[in-house]
Amino acid sequence: MKSLFKLTSFLFVAALLLTACGGATPTPATPPTPQTIIQTQVQTQVVEVPRQQVTVRLSGWASSPSETALLESLLYKFSVENPDILVKYEPITGDYRQAMLTAIAAGTEPDVFYVDIAYFQEFAKNGVLLSLDDLMASTGTTKDMFIPSLMNAFTYDGKVYGIPKDFNTLGLFYNKGLFDAAGLAYPTDAWTWTDLQNAATALTNLSDANKPVYGFCDPADAGRFPVFVLQNGGTIMNADFSDTTLDSEQAIGAAQFYTDFRKNKIGAIPADVGEGWQGTVFGKGQCAMVYEGGWLIPYLTSSFPGVQYGVSRLPAGPGGKGNMIFTVSWSISKNTKVADAAWKVVEFLTNEASQTTVLESGFALPTRVSLQTSDYLKNNANSAAIFNGAYDNAVPFFWGPAGSDVNDQMGKALERIYLENQPVADSMAQAAAEIRKAIAQLK
Amino acid sequence: MATASQLLPENTFRNRFLLAWERIKTPVFYFLLFFWAILCLAPLYFTLVFSLKPVANAYTPPIWFPIPFTLDNFRTVLQSFDLFPRWILNSMIISLSVTLLRVLFCSMAGYAFARIEFRGKKFLFNALLISMMMPGIVTLIPKFLVIGPGFIKGGLHIGSLVLPTGFNLIDKLGGVVLPSFVDAFGVFMMTQYYKSFPKELEEAAIIDGTNRWGIFFRIVLPISQTQLLTLGLLTFQGEWNNFMLPLLILRSPQNFTLPIGLQWFRGEYYTLYSTVLAGSLFNTLPILILFFLFQRYIIQSIATTGSKEG
Amino acid sequence: MSKFNRNKALENLTGYLFISPWLFIFFTFILFSLGYALYLSFTRYNLLSPAQWWGLEGYKRVLTDSLFLDKALPNTFKYVLIVVPLQTVISLVLAFAMDQKLRLRRLFRTVFYLPSVTSSVVISLIFVWLFAAQGIFNQLLGLTVNWLNNVKTAFYIIMGMNIFTTSGTLMLIFLSGLQDIPESVYEAARIDGADSLQIFWYITIPMLRPIIFFVVTVGMIGCFQVFDQIYVMTSGGPLDSTTTITYLIYKWAFRDTTVKMGQASALAVILTLIILVVTLIQRRLIEGSGVSNQ
Repeated sequence: MKSLFKLTSFLFVAALLLTACGGATPTPATPPTPQTIIQTQVQTQVVEVPRQQVTVRLSGWASSPSETALLESLLYKFSVENPDILVKYEPITGDYRQAMLTAIAAGTEPDVFYVDIAYFQEFAKNGVLLSLDDLMASTGTTKDMFIPSLMNAFTYDGKVYGIPKDFNTLGLFYNKGLFDAAGLAYPTDAWTWTDLQNAATALTNLSDANKPVYGFCDPADAGRFPVFVLQNGGTIMNADFSDTTLDSEQAIGAAQFYTDFRKNKIGAIPADVGEGWQGTVFGKGQCAMVYEGGWLIPYLTSSFPGVQYGVSRLPAGPGGKGNMIFTVSWSISKNTKVADAAWKVVEFLTNEASQTTVLESGFALPTRVSLQTSDYLKNNANSAAIFNGAYDNAVPFFWGPAGSDVNDQMGKALERIYLENQPVADSMAQAAAEIRKAIAQLK
Repeated sequence: MATASQLLPENTFRNRFLLAWERIKTPVFYFLLFFWAILCLAPLYFTLVFSLKPVANAYTPPIWFPIPFTLDNFRTVLQSFDLFPRWILNSMIISLSVTLLRVLFCSMAGYAFARIEFRGKKFLFNALLISMMMPGIVTLIPKFLVIGPGFIKGGLHIGSLVLPTGFNLIDKLGGVVLPSFVDAFGVFMMTQYYKSFPKELEEAAIIDGTNRWGIFFRIVLPISQTQLLTLGLLTFQGEWNNFMLPLLILRSPQNFTLPIGLQWFRGEYYTLYSTVLAGSLFNTLPILILFFLFQRYIIQSIATTGSKEG
Repeated sequence: MSKFNRNKALENLTGYLFISPWLFIFFTFILFSLGYALYLSFTRYNLLSPAQWWGLEGYKRVLTDSLFLDKALPNTFKYVLIVVPLQTVISLVLAFAMDQKLRLRRLFRTVFYLPSVTSSVVISLIFVWLFAAQGIFNQLLGLTVNWLNNVKTAFYIIMGMNIFTTSGTLMLIFLSGLQDIPESVYEAARIDGADSLQIFWYITIPMLRPIIFFVVTVGMIGCFQVFDQIYVMTSGGPLDSTTTITYLIYKWAFRDTTVKMGQASALAVILTLIILVVTLIQRRLIEGSGVSNQ
């Protein structure tokens, strides 16, 4: 039928036109409008935009809309103060590492981007990042302005390759309602392992047939377990990450203490109560105490606003205090063509004013030493507990070039103890052996 | 001469089974269909319940009904990003272009593989099958290179010429359409459909002297409406939900497709499922609407073409 | 040129013109990607520094890797051998049921298509809730098994999810094929005295053979490459019981702290060869005997 042929060719041409016209139009040089979920604030300011504008491409993983709004408000402030620099924000909403690795391999990576502590060393070692020492000197930024453990985490081979933008540690979140019901005193910063165990036992006694309550949550999570090893006087890896110490006495002792909560039925893993994350279990009141990071605070505010809770610093073990640092840096690509402008952006985003804004939003903790004594932390004991965790023998969440294998093996060791009742010593020995195999393969 | 007993069907087990089957066939089919239908509706139902409850009540009972009821989650999804309508538009443009182009080109290639004898056909068809067997994860980077900067940095230098080795379509919708406008699965599917078509129709036209183009566009294409619609629907759905490669290609938020934009609601450490599920409904709805519309055309085409006289 | 040669040349040209769009994509994207992946399989490449030639070391490492030999390879084969027949049969039965002159057909068709269209996040969540220790499934059967956290059962839940999700799409494909079978063929068979079982077995199935071959081949290729559900739900666990070959490729390419892209590419090449061999065997079984339809 002729008409069908005509229709087909029309559709074909239409499709081609659609594609051609659907391309991206160049971004106009106007500052982005900041928004919050509750109301849209449109701020406009008349600014002289010089004819020559430098474009800085900035990228990171996309957090929730409220956190994005915070970042965009900071970028807006920056663009007002620096009209000659246009910042293109290119958030990555999916697998960040996959997108970054692809971009780096293809040579199309952005100028400024997040680098998580987990793979910071890989990037620095392979010459992906620009060393920032000279740029820092040009604006009078010194290393001691930032918390030492964080600055060291992003220093490689004596040079600084990233400015820590925020950080988190683990805190002991406790359910005030359940503590009151059990007649227990709230946890203090002076708590020890014994206090933790006793409290868990007493709190588990609160459960009845319909609503089980567990004192503590001990998931098979490599992002939680290591603090117990540290608190038992041990380490996960040796100093230069060439070998693991997971089969040491201290590590085995820590694993025994940790898994005993579930074994003695005074603790549970999220799967036992049908959940995927202990944060939800805590919010539902099925677990009285969890070790979680500061991100649990905004989660509880939005999803479980009725829960009365507090946060204390982690209890000490036989070997003293121990904690882990989760942190991310702003870094600049080695291949950037706009190093000075990029540095201006990084410096602005991590200066005291910006970090105070971030702190007061409640989403993240600042990395500047000067803010340790800020009013916000004085008035928010929960956030202060997380912040001060950085001073409790806190090690960065990084285990060297075989780091992902270390995390995998730790998780599997705990899973084997839980799911297959493997003896703790054997499980840790098996994990250590596998890690050594993985390290050997890196040669 | 046949006796009466020879005319009746034998009273074997087989025939008794078949008689029984004819009688209970309909209720059995209905039961099967209803059972499977409930299984299929469950996810959508739970999505609705979850999206219609406030975030703070997501985990409080009852879980079967949305009490308390709220439309806040949908409001959040629509208002958090003023680019939301733009994302829907981008997804529409990409999915429609790819669907139209793919249906046309895959049916053409399918017909050629099924009916036209050309040299190297077997070899090329095998190459087509093999091309589907390589997992997509390792082809992400080379595809990205070809769509964008090119596999030789700075271009291929021949004498004083610099030839680009990539299409330079990063951050453009065309960059998502280009690698998808024809697809091995689609060609394979159309080839198999056309292989099972009755040849008699075309043979009459060939004797009449019509050339291949005429046969294809005037005879074969109209008859294969059902298959074209099926391919179109599957293509639209696949392209709408295509995530991995567009995530790498599209950089500026205003060029995002809807699935990429919806992922923005997933947090770094935790996810507010009420919002995410509400957002996913926006993603599912266009495809469902299209499906419901096209369904009628499929039924219509059967009614008009009727039984194909073999 | 004789008329015969001219016609042949014209046929050749027409054939190539008809497949030219596909040929374009094939040469610019597919051939290059396959060649690139093949090249990388002989290198040591961490994506951050240039690739170094490694020869067969990558293949050696893959073929001696315990995660590949003990988990990924057997898991993947188990997956294919269970899911492909099940999803083919279920979607064929559904399509056959939809082909009957039953009422509410249009409604059923839309409902059956829902799982294919619902986001995999949603379906994963639903399955997690359904099969949780206090989930509905356990409540209905009076059990307390934690299906997804159990090394022996987690994989089967993933399989069930996949079958559930693809059934709608495959049903559509079968339905299009079923509706192409002319009514006259059925009538002729009934006049000859065939009953419904004979019609189904000796007429419907053979006429559907090319479609069945398509569904089985595509189903197999998809199952050998199963990745999405595992990525979303279990990340290969618990204890690697849901680790498949493609998930291992992803782990080595993008998840490991030290990227092993060369090894991942080698595994991808090995997987391609496995799929190729299995497809050839399967083709012989299904399409080999039905030469008349070629």
